[in-house]
Amino acid sequence: MSTPEFRAGQGHEVLVARDLHKSYGARPALRGLSFSLKGGSILGFLGPNGAGKTTAIRILTTIIEPSAGSFLVAGLGSDRPREIRRRIGVLPESLGFPGNMTGLEFVTFYGRLYGLSAGKARTKAQAMIQAVGLKQRGRSLIKSYSRGMRQRLGIARALINDPAVVFLDEPTLGLDPKGQQELQGLVKWIAKERNAGVVLCSHQLSEVETVCDEVVILSAGRVVTQGAVSDVIGGSESNVVRVHVPEAARSDARQALQHAPGVVSVQASDGEAGWLRIELASEASFSSNGQHVNNGILNVLIASKIPVLGLQSGGGRLQDVFLEITQGTIQ
Amino acid sequence: MSGNANVGSGSGSPTWWIVMRKELHELWVGGKALTLLLVYTILLGVLTWVLASNSELSLIPPKEMVYETLKAALAVGVFIGVIIGADSISGERERSTLEGLLLTPTSRRQIITGKFLAAASPWPAAFLVALPYIWLLAQGDEAFGQAVLWGAVFGTILTPAFTAMGMFVSYWCNSNRTSLFVGLGVYLFFVLPTQLPGSAQTGTAGRFLQWVNPMQAPDFFLEKILVNNRTLGELWTWIIVPAAFAVINLALIFLYAGPGLRLEAGGAGEAGGAWTRRKATAAGVFLIGALGALGPIPALALQSNQETPAMEVQAAPARTASLVMGIDMEFVTVRAGESVFYETTVTNSTTQTSPDLILAMNIINLDALGDIVDPEDWSPQRTQYQGGLAPGGSATHSWRVNAILDGDYMIYTVAIPQPAGQEATTHPVASPGIHLTVTPFTRLNPGGVLPFAIGGPVLVLIGLLYVYRRRRRGIDEGG
Repeated sequence: MSTPEFRAGQGHEVLVARDLHKSYGARPALRGLSFSLKGGSILGFLGPNGAGKTTAIRILTTIIEPSAGSFLVAGLGSDRPREIRRRIGVLPESLGFPGNMTGLEFVTFYGRLYGLSAGKARTKAQAMIQAVGLKQRGRSLIKSYSRGMRQRLGIARALINDPAVVFLDEPTLGLDPKGQQELQGLVKWIAKERNAGVVLCSHQLSEVETVCDEVVILSAGRVVTQGAVSDVIGGSESNVVRVHVPEAARSDARQALQHAPGVVSVQASDGEAGWLRIELASEASFSSNGQHVNNGILNVLIASKIPVLGLQSGGGRLQDVFLEITQGTIQ
Repeated sequence: MSGNANVGSGSGSPTWWIVMRKELHELWVGGKALTLLLVYTILLGVLTWVLASNSELSLIPPKEMVYETLKAALAVGVFIGVIIGADSISGERERSTLEGLLLTPTSRRQIITGKFLAAASPWPAAFLVALPYIWLLAQGDEAFGQAVLWGAVFGTILTPAFTAMGMFVSYWCNSNRTSLFVGLGVYLFFVLPTQLPGSAQTGTAGRFLQWVNPMQAPDFFLEKILVNNRTLGELWTWIIVPAAFAVINLALIFLYAGPGLRLEAGGAGEAGGAWTRRKATAAGVFLIGALGALGPIPALALQSNQETPAMEVQAAPARTASLVMGIDMEFVTVRAGESVFYETTVTNSTTQTSPDLILAMNIINLDALGDIVDPEDWSPQRTQYQGGLAPGGSATHSWRVNAILDGDYMIYTVAIPQPAGQEATTHPVASPGIHLTVTPFTRLNPGGVLPFAIGGPVLVLIGLLYVYRRRRRGIDEGG
C-alpha cells in the first residue's frame, strides 16, 4: 500500500478505510467497510450488537488483521502496525486498570512505552491528567476511582502520545447523566482543540447525535448508511413530526390527529412517554388552506384541549433512523 | 495544545525494562510477591524447627538437614515462579489490561521479556531468605557452602524454567483459573515423584525416570553431593535435563509465544512469528532428541557407581596365598550421626576358582577404655556373601557404617573362604583398615531454632508493612 505524505491538522484525512473484510472461520464479521475521517471531526460508529463495530475498531487499531481490504492512519498503511500504534490513541470498551498504581503512574508508564523519557513522560502525564479533569486525584490509587474517573483516565492514557486518531469505544457506558455530559465535552475537546480525528463507538444514539459530525451505521457486518449526521437523519425522515403531550392525553391526541390535514399516520413513539410520531404526506408542508402543516397539528390539539409540551419537525431522530434500518435490533 | 505531533522514541530505556519495572512494582509494592514470600518463610521456619526436633530424636546429620531444607526451598521457590508466571498473561487478559499494552508500539517480545524477568524475581529473594535457615542447620558443616553454590545453580535453572512454563500455559489460556490449574498440574506432575521413597524408583528404568524429571534430577544431584560426598565429575549428567528443560521453556516463551502474543489466547502473531515458531519447534525437537540420546548414559553409569564413596584413596592390597583384599579409603573423620560409605574389592589371584566367600565387617575401638562396638548397631551390612571367583576375577562390595558414638576406631573387612569340609579349614584374608575418627554430635537445640523459625517470617512481615506504609505515604488517600 502506498503511504502518501501525511499533513497533520484539521481538514486532512487522518483515517481511511477501504473495503475492509474480516471473517472468523466461515462467519463473516465485517463485509466491506469503507469510510474516511478528517482531523478535527468526530465519526460515530453505530450498530446493534454483533454488527461488527468492535471488529472494525480492532482492525483499525491493529489488534487484529483484516481478511481483506486496507486502511491508512495518518498516511501510514496497514502493513505498518507498530508505526500506526504510535499515531493512535484508544479507549477500549472494557479497559482494565492496575488498581495498585496511581493515575499519574499509570499514564506515565504508557508515556514511556511510547518512547518518552521518564521526566517527559511524567510531565506529559500530569498535563493529560489535568486536561481530563483528574488533577486532584492523580496521586490516588486507581482502585479508588469511580467508573467515570477511570474513563477519564483511559482517555488521558489514549492522548499521551498526541494521536492523530482517537478511538473511543463506549466511553460513557455506565456513567450518570452528568458524567456523560462531561465526557461528551471531553470528546469534543479532543477533536476541536487537538485536531484529532475521533471515532466514537456508542449505543447512546442521542450522544452520537449530539457529539458526532458524521456517522457510520453497521448491521451484520455491512455499512447500511453513512454520512453527515444531519444528512442521515434528515434524508431518512424528513416527513415526520414529533409531538409531546401528557402521557394521559396521548390516546386522545392520537385520535384527534388522525384526521388532521396532511397527516398520514399517528403512532406512539416507542419507549418515550407522551411522544407521538406523526407521518405526513409527501410534500405536505402546507395544507389546502395555506396553513403550515405544523400549525394545523397544533390547532387540532388546541381545539381538543390537549396541552402541547413539545414539537419537533424537519425530520426524525437518529434513533428512528437507526431502528428503521437495523430493524430494532439495538439492545 | 498542539495535536498530532509524533512522540519521541529515544527514552534511553529499553521497553522490556519499562515493562519489567512496572511488573515489579505491581508484584512487590502491590504485595503479591511479599505475601508469597511470607508464606514461604513460615514454611521454612516450620520445616527448620521440625528438622531440628527430629535431629534430637533420630540423629539426623546436618548434611541431611541442609539437603532437606534446600530441597524444600527450591520446590517452593519454583512453585512461586509457576504461580506468578501462570498469572502473567491470562491474568492480564482477564483483567482487561493486556489490550492497553498491545495497543502501544512496544514489540510483543519485549512485553514478554519484561514480564518474565519480573515473574522470576522472587527466587533470589526466596533463596536469600532460605540461607540463614540452611546455615543454622548446617552447624558449621562444609555442606553449607555446597548448598549455597548448588542451590544458586539449580534455582537459577529451575525457577526461570518453570516460570517460563507457567507463562507459556498462561499464553494459551483466556482464564486465569485455567492457567493456574494447568500450570500447577504440570508442576505437581514433576514434583510428586520426588516425594516417592527411594525404593520406588530403582533399576535402570527407575533411575532413568529420575534423571529425566527436571525436579527429581536436581534432588538426586543435591543428595549425592551434599549428603554422600559425591563429586561433580560423577554427577554432571544430572544437570542436563533441568538445563534442557529451561532452554526448551525459554525458547517456547521467547521464540514462540513472544511474537504471537495477542488479545485472545494462543494463535498467530505478527509477521515473522511463524518463522520463529518453526525455529522454536525445531529447537525443541532437537533438544528432546538429544536428551533421548543421552538418557541411557547416566542411568547405566549409575548402576555401577551407585554406592561409590567420594573419598577414594589408592587401594592397599593385603595378600594371602590365593586372595587379595582391597579397600578404597585409609581414614575418615565424621560426626556422630553421619555415615561412612566405602567399598572393598576381593580378587582371586590364583589359577583356580575360589570357594564361596563370607565377607564380614569389623569395627574395633582403638581407645582401650572405650565402649564395646557392636557392628549390628553401626551397620546394616555386617556380612555379605560372594560366590566363588573365577581365576583372576574380582568383586566389589559396598559398605555403610553409621557413626553412633564419638571415638577412635578401626574398620576392616575379612574375607573368609568356605572350608571344603568338617575336617578342613581356610585362611581368612583381611583388608587394610580404615581409621575412623568420630567427633561428638553437635546438639541443635530446637529451642534455639525457634528465634529463626519465628524471626524470619516476622522480618518479612515487617518488610511487607514497611512497603505498605511507604506506599501509603506516596499516594493520596482520596475516596
